[in-house]
Amino acid sequence: MNAGLNLILAASAALFAVGAFAVIARRSAVLMLIGTQFMFIAGCVAFVAFARFGLGAGNATSGAAVAIFAGATAVAELAVGLAMAALIYREHRSLAIDADRG
Amino acid sequence: MPLIGALPQPITSAPLVIVIYAVVLLMLASALASVVLRNTLYAIGAFAATMVLVALLYLTIAPFLLFAAQLLVFTTVSAALLVGLLRQTAGLESTQEPFSREWIVGAAVAAALLALLIVVIATTSWPIRATTNAATGFGATLTNTYVVGLAVVVVILASAALGSGLLLAAPTLPSGRERDRARGSRR
Repeated sequence: MNAGLNLILAASAALFAVGAFAVIARRSAVLMLIGTQFMFIAGCVAFVAFARFGLGAGNATSGAAVAIFAGATAVAELAVGLAMAALIYREHRSLAIDADRG
Repeated sequence: MPLIGALPQPITSAPLVIVIYAVVLLMLASALASVVLRNTLYAIGAFAATMVLVALLYLTIAPFLLFAAQLLVFTTVSAALLVGLLRQTAGLESTQEPFSREWIVGAAVAAALLALLIVVIATTSWPIRATTNAATGFGATLTNTYVVGLAVVVVILASAALGSGLLLAAPTLPSGRERDRARGSRR
């Protein structure tokens, strides 16, 4: 039994699927943003796995560097998305993204 | 040194492998819980737990600095932002019924995506190459090779934090319904 590239990539794919489910199935803006975070993190995990197990560039730290940048971008996207959700709540008194449908 | 063809050295140490499997399983379980739970506060708790478990996964396969950034910056900021939004709102309970049409469609699409990714992962014979020790030189990589990217990330993060703070602190404008109500009472 060992832990290699395939295990981490499978975990990353499963995390990505969970995020996709949240984005498609949930109507709450908060849960949809959480889903996008999971999709971002899945990408980061895949980058780190490729760097750790040998598919990265000659510099093995590049995968971790990309993960840092993607994580920061995800947090920035979350900040802007949550601010928009707060404004939607002020307008409609609901965090549901289809609150304006009648 | 041959670059292509060298073994990638998967982790074989039994305790570490068990830890990695446990962390991966717990991470997926808490991620699933966070998107399924009806109470938003619990969902945010499960999300924070997932982020911590991702940090633990990084600890086993990535440089320590990435673990620290994931745990101290990304997890903390994300959870604080989500809890901050909850303090501004009162939407703790979801009004969406479980196993509604959206849930079935979402689950089907997610399952199809997962199946596609698993097939690609399982059938691809990844090219492999020997790597250097990832723990050394990570800070130097960030500050030398990616100095412009790092500066851009700092600007993006600062702008996002400032912008969201300004949006949240802005005076509340009357909503469309409130305007209509005010007009109606004037008549």
